[in-house]
Amino acid sequence: MGSDLIGVWIAAFLTLGIMSFLYKDNPWYKFSEAIFVGLSAGYWFASLFWQSLHAKFWANWSPAVQSLFQGQFDYNLLYTGAGILGLMMLLRLIPPIGWISRWPLSVVVGGTAGLYLINYLVSNAVRQIGSTIQPVVTFPESIGWINSGGVIIGNVLVFAVLIVSLGFILFGRNTTIDLPTPTKLFFFLIALVACALGTFYSLSMPLNLTGLIIFMGVFCGLIYFFFSKEHTGFFGGAATVGTWFLMVTFGASFGYTVMSRMSLLIGRIDFLLVEWLKVVN
Amino acid sequence: MNFWKALLAIDRRWIFLFVFLALAVPMFLNVDFDLSISREVQGLYDALDKLQPNSKILMSFDYDPPSAPELQPMADAIMKYCLKKKLRIIIMGLWPQGPIQANMALNRAFLEEDINRDDYVYGVHYVNLGYQAGNEFVIQRMGSAFYEMFKRDYTGNRYEELPLMRGIKNFNDIDFSINFSAGYPGTVEWVQIAVDRFHVRLGAGNTAVQAPQVYPYYNSGQVVGLAGGMRGAAELEGVFARFDGGTVDYKDKGTKYMLSQTIAHAVVMFFIVVGNIAYFVIGRKDKLKASK
Amino acid sequence: MLRFKAAIFTLLLLLLFCLSAAAQTAEELSDTAALEEPVYEIPRLAQVTNFEAKDSPDDAGGEIELTWDLSVDDKKEDGLVSKYVVLRSQNPTSDFHIVGVANHRDSSYIDKNLKEGTDYYYKIVTFPKYQGEVRLTREEIDPLMEQYPELTELDIKDVSMLAEYDRDIMSVFDDNILGISRVAGPVKSRAQWFNSKDLDTLIIGLTICISVVIFIGMARGGRKLFLRRIGGLQAIENAIGRATEMGKSILFIPGIQDMDDVQTVAGITILGRIAKTIAEYDTKINMPVSRSIVMTTARETIKEAYLSAGRPDAYSDDMVHYITDEQFGYVAAVDGIMVREKPATCFYLGAFFAESLIMAETGNSIGAIQIAGTAMPAQLPFFVAACDYTLIGEELFAASAYLSGEPKQLGSLKGQDVGKFIAMVFIIIGAVFATLAALTGSEDILEITNMIKSWFSA
Repeated sequence: MGSDLIGVWIAAFLTLGIMSFLYKDNPWYKFSEAIFVGLSAGYWFASLFWQSLHAKFWANWSPAVQSLFQGQFDYNLLYTGAGILGLMMLLRLIPPIGWISRWPLSVVVGGTAGLYLINYLVSNAVRQIGSTIQPVVTFPESIGWINSGGVIIGNVLVFAVLIVSLGFILFGRNTTIDLPTPTKLFFFLIALVACALGTFYSLSMPLNLTGLIIFMGVFCGLIYFFFSKEHTGFFGGAATVGTWFLMVTFGASFGYTVMSRMSLLIGRIDFLLVEWLKVVN
Repeated sequence: MNFWKALLAIDRRWIFLFVFLALAVPMFLNVDFDLSISREVQGLYDALDKLQPNSKILMSFDYDPPSAPELQPMADAIMKYCLKKKLRIIIMGLWPQGPIQANMALNRAFLEEDINRDDYVYGVHYVNLGYQAGNEFVIQRMGSAFYEMFKRDYTGNRYEELPLMRGIKNFNDIDFSINFSAGYPGTVEWVQIAVDRFHVRLGAGNTAVQAPQVYPYYNSGQVVGLAGGMRGAAELEGVFARFDGGTVDYKDKGTKYMLSQTIAHAVVMFFIVVGNIAYFVIGRKDKLKASK
Repeated sequence: MLRFKAAIFTLLLLLLFCLSAAAQTAEELSDTAALEEPVYEIPRLAQVTNFEAKDSPDDAGGEIELTWDLSVDDKKEDGLVSKYVVLRSQNPTSDFHIVGVANHRDSSYIDKNLKEGTDYYYKIVTFPKYQGEVRLTREEIDPLMEQYPELTELDIKDVSMLAEYDRDIMSVFDDNILGISRVAGPVKSRAQWFNSKDLDTLIIGLTICISVVIFIGMARGGRKLFLRRIGGLQAIENAIGRATEMGKSILFIPGIQDMDDVQTVAGITILGRIAKTIAEYDTKINMPVSRSIVMTTARETIKEAYLSAGRPDAYSDDMVHYITDEQFGYVAAVDGIMVREKPATCFYLGAFFAESLIMAETGNSIGAIQIAGTAMPAQLPFFVAACDYTLIGEELFAASAYLSGEPKQLGSLKGQDVGKFIAMVFIIIGAVFATLAALTGSEDILEITNMIKSWFSA
């Protein structure tokens, strides 16, 4: 119990020390940070020594060597090669022959590249193409009343995005066509009518356009990252739409990060109020 | 200096203070949330629900204390459910501190009245294989033989001495796996290797930072369920409490802190909106000045 | 005669004994029946038909695939079957053991972890639904489970039923109340060299790899490969010009990864071009790094750039200096440099982690023009929010290829464009068919859609 109490007080002291940086840089913060950096470096060193060097290399290699002395061949002797490569990596510490460390590095790079090529091709490309192949519109059989409200709002938004995107794709940026104001107005009116129609249509028959959003996001995103054609005309417009999708993605990602950071702060405040001060149950 | 300019020049420490208060004050309130359950979390629950008792479930704890506020509530809730459902639990970690977090989840689950520690025998009903260095290569090797990677468990028992592990050679013998992930190595690696090569059924609990990267895998069915961030944890607690209530108290820190989270988000949104209004108002005035 | 009489007597005696014994047994039997009435009625189940065992195709060996047609009792509405229990043996007549359980309405099972090249025989036992109450206690079931670990896949109820029916589990299956299939086998498991299910991946992978090789060859052969203008490059020129006008330095951060990360390589390639412009404009560059090899490479790159700009005298090794490998230690030092020196322009080109926002925020607060480029998806939002221009993902590599004109980089980029083109084409075709299938409800179109989808799924 006593040691627990001391531990909690030390933790609280260091937590507040790190948080004090929010006010301004100060010695308390520097002290806490130095302890953190030193501790984590030491922890990682010990962890790597026992989990990698000892568990992965020594525990496999030394019995194999022993059995070799007893006249038996153990396949784990192959670890000798790994050990030599590891030693070569350390030669970086001796500048004149430091270049030797590039050899084991090339083994690592080659092996990892081979593994990653398949992993990323299958998981992040091929399978994602498969999952993008879906109907762009579907008519759900039945949806609840509240749900249908959501669908209507969603559809109106989708129609709006769709029309504006189409406008961009057809008469996109970098195009030589400079639209006169009446034409722009005309397109604006068409967009309005389409939104109204979309609302009316959703009211009379529920339809789900999620597939369309996914399709457009993937397709326009791919066009944005297509380097073999200049971004003009249709391509330019689609690429612009692609950047919107990217920006929305970044926004969502940013939002999630805010939530994550808040959670971490909650974790620390929880520690201070519940475990240290015990003012909250 | 006018109002908007003063607002934009506000010392950021005031914002820190507001956010701190928004997070700390609600902790004194005890509010029970009934969150709507997202498709992703429901998918995770359904997958667990379908498992027969005594099914073998592999849990990989790929996080450490810094990410615990988000992931520990998920781990706690899932651990309680799996123990109550009498699933056989195999714990491992690709992060050094993962297995320790797993033990914390186990201990918390055993505090429940309905989950009696004496009913569960270590090595028979659950086992902690510990941490293994090697990142995604560990998963790759486990595909051919678990034993190759975990010759001894967390406490030093030999693999073949653990009755639960005796019948398990590789992923073929696992009914379901869950990965709690805070980064690399984590869900992405599990999907790429365990799911796409060895056809493991995978559910994932992620930090909010990582969740957007994992959503496409849910859409394509590569993960069957997904809980993201503290909101995901709260939903998980909610879904377990709703369908498997009984005497086990699932609603814990995840649900408890959603109020703090919500109010803090509102504060952040308020500052974003006000900041942008100020930015545009000043921008317009500056432009007017320039044109004059 | 006497012998004959004795024989008849003995025979009669024997007959009498047999009769009484038989009577007693019958009495015993009826007694048992009277005492322990069956707690539930076990229906006599129909066995499965067309039971086949064959080597699992496209595997690494050790698997055998079993298929069968459902038992007649399982096909009925509210069928009587609860499970199909799979038994295996290495000889056709005896020693069958439970190896697994398939649920009712399942008509296949894959037996795994077998020895390659060994002959196996299989039987399927159709197992009834349990209708009584659970009678066994935990204490009784646990030893059973320990004795037959295969049973863990059965429900507790099923196990109690099995155990109640006969304590010796194995002999249960010799009873003809359960529907026992014919023996299938012998069958061997074999490893296949080629997994035909992954043929699609092979084709796509080969197409992309071969295109990369062809494009590299074309670039090496002096063919001019077209690359579109990258928006960020003009921004880079402008940013250097601004620093020159203001007479301030330029800060270049190549990320925190080593030279084995392709993003660092791209960053350093772009550095080559930037350094040349800097040398021409006679601006200062400051480049703190976190890896020793990156430091060496960057020094060589800048030196070469100054040389080709005709100003080798202006170069000094101090332009690139090592700080620390430690992530946050490095960030703290870079932040310090920014606040003290107030560079006019900051470049962040390479692989970044959690330090991205810290650096970009500090750069923003000192009013520097900031240009970032990284392929780390999690860090892009921060750069986009805090920097003036961001090279998103592959644009970083494209910029690097565009500036260097190096055949390998150009070829890889063009090869990947082929991959993207394939993706776009199939997504459009697939989406059109899928939508048509959803709108018309036509089975034929749905079949085509599923075929296209199957090329891109596991």
